Amino acid sequence: MLAVVVYGVSMIYSVFLWRNGFRRDNHVTYLLLLLAFGFHTTAMLLRGFRLDHCPVSNLYEATLFAMWTIVAMYVVIGLWSRLRFLGAFASPGLFAVGVFALMPGLDATHGVRPELPVVWTSLHAALMSLSYGAFGLSSVAALMYLTQERNLKFHKLQAIFSLMPPIQRLEAAVGRLLIAGFILLTIGLGLGVVDLAHINNPHSYRGDPKIVWSAVVWLLYLGLVIMRWRFAQGGRRFALSAIGSFVFVLLTFWGTNVLSPLHNP
Amino acid sequence: MLVVLGLSHHSSPVSVRERFAFAEARVPAALQSLRDSGIADEAVILSTCNRVEIYAVTQLEPPQAFAALRDFLVNCHDYRDPLTDEIYAWGEPQSVHHLFKVASGLDSMVLGETEILGQLKKAYDLALKTGHTGGRLNKAFQRAFNVAKHIRTETNIQRGSVSVGSVAVELAEKIFSRLSDRDVMIIGAGDTSEKTARALISRGARSILVTNRSHDKAVALASELGGRAVPFENWADEFANLDIIISSTSAPHYILDRVKLEPLMKLRRNRPLLLIDIAVPRDIEPEVNFLADVYLYNMDDLQTIADDYLKQRKQEVARCEQIIREKAEAVLGHPDRRESGVGVRPAFGHE
Repeated sequence: MLAVVVYGVSMIYSVFLWRNGFRRDNHVTYLLLLLAFGFHTTAMLLRGFRLDHCPVSNLYEATLFAMWTIVAMYVVIGLWSRLRFLGAFASPGLFAVGVFALMPGLDATHGVRPELPVVWTSLHAALMSLSYGAFGLSSVAALMYLTQERNLKFHKLQAIFSLMPPIQRLEAAVGRLLIAGFILLTIGLGLGVVDLAHINNPHSYRGDPKIVWSAVVWLLYLGLVIMRWRFAQGGRRFALSAIGSFVFVLLTFWGTNVLSPLHNP
Repeated sequence: MLVVLGLSHHSSPVSVRERFAFAEARVPAALQSLRDSGIADEAVILSTCNRVEIYAVTQLEPPQAFAALRDFLVNCHDYRDPLTDEIYAWGEPQSVHHLFKVASGLDSMVLGETEILGQLKKAYDLALKTGHTGGRLNKAFQRAFNVAKHIRTETNIQRGSVSVGSVAVELAEKIFSRLSDRDVMIIGAGDTSEKTARALISRGARSILVTNRSHDKAVALASELGGRAVPFENWADEFANLDIIISSTSAPHYILDRVKLEPLMKLRRNRPLLLIDIAVPRDIEPEVNFLADVYLYNMDDLQTIADDYLKQRKQEVARCEQIIREKAEAVLGHPDRRESGVGVRPAFGHE
């Protein structure tokens, strides 16, 4: 709760930075997100110790874990001053998702499948959340790219006066975060398959909405990765694709999770 | 008392300033003569293309000191033409304010520029090494350097570029991750494009290609810039490898338009391209800016950015002057406590 409040404060400060044309050094956003990260980590550790496993067993926990990974990556990337503005672009999203996660009903208690090994299941969920975190941060970098690219294209003075990094570096950041997310997603899904093998009659889950959805998401990001590394796709189209893909994940993640018997035993 | 007397771009044209300029080799002798004559106990001579100034610590009353320094300057250069307001002079505290302003670039032709600080340090070092400074001037100059540093870090007076060439470099730095692996082409061997290319080279641009209708001119400029000349008819062949193109030909029509550029962009595999069109009439069709990964800036765009930076710098002047007043008071003591020394007026005109 405290972390979400600090994300909100960071979002308000981001609006101020935006209006100011990103001309100031962005250490305030970084410090705010660092503070929120501290609260967030503490809350997750407390919950993890209480449950005795990684807190990713329901929608509430999965959402907060994905948010946590975004902030954790930002805390590292933000050590480079020019990339600190990612925080200003990420704060509104973090606040919105945080408020959503706090809504009643998401923190439902599910039964645990006793046949599944706890370590593999936790690792599967954690890696999936980490990959969504990387995709989220990649879409934030893409948003930054689109803002700066548009300002440069239309000769807005803000483009040159702002302290944002060059668009080529932002484009590289989008690509690298996508690759990192895709690797995590692939390993996470692989572990999911290992998990599935432990369930009785795994073939009955072939049409499970979450499995179908995960395959779609994997193919979607595979397409982006191929576009980037095989065909050197970059620029606006690639940035829009990165944002569009993550918006798709964001809008459908909860729905497929609720509809999935596999994930709601 | 610390006094300053001299002339600058504010008070006199270059035709007068150049006649008062001191060659560096002559400065020690001039300082020696200034001290031997009894006008000054300590002195520093600053001579740049925009100003010639003598900073001196003197025992004389200000009017006598100003007259003596003026005569010294005029006689030193054997200047016989009439002078009106070209030469200015200040006593304390204005002399200290002036020194701090000069060090901070507030008195420069390009507001906030930093070159003057280096020139001032050099002038001071020369006087120091030849033994013509003492406690007063040492303290005043050291403080001036500190004030300049303080102003540079605490205000935006030196932020941004105010020349077309450096704005172009700044734009390139907003697009490309590094300039060290960028290839630049100059189309048309004009003066501004040459300056812009030099600015890009100074920031590490990898290679420079020069093309011009007159190939000889292209070869001459390429050898000056350490680049390679390309025949004008073949410049498009190099296109796939280029990142920045600066165009300044005198062609009456566009030399690069959308129809020509569109297929060439496909060879570039989505690499951005910065086009700087500083020709009048323009060399590049404005429509090309609508192509993906193309960033086109013409002379007006660059000038607008430079003007806006200048506007920002001007808005910072009041803050800088406040800092200077405070720092000068710290050097001289509070104004109330040095009332007798303050009432000095410029003897010969003002800036």
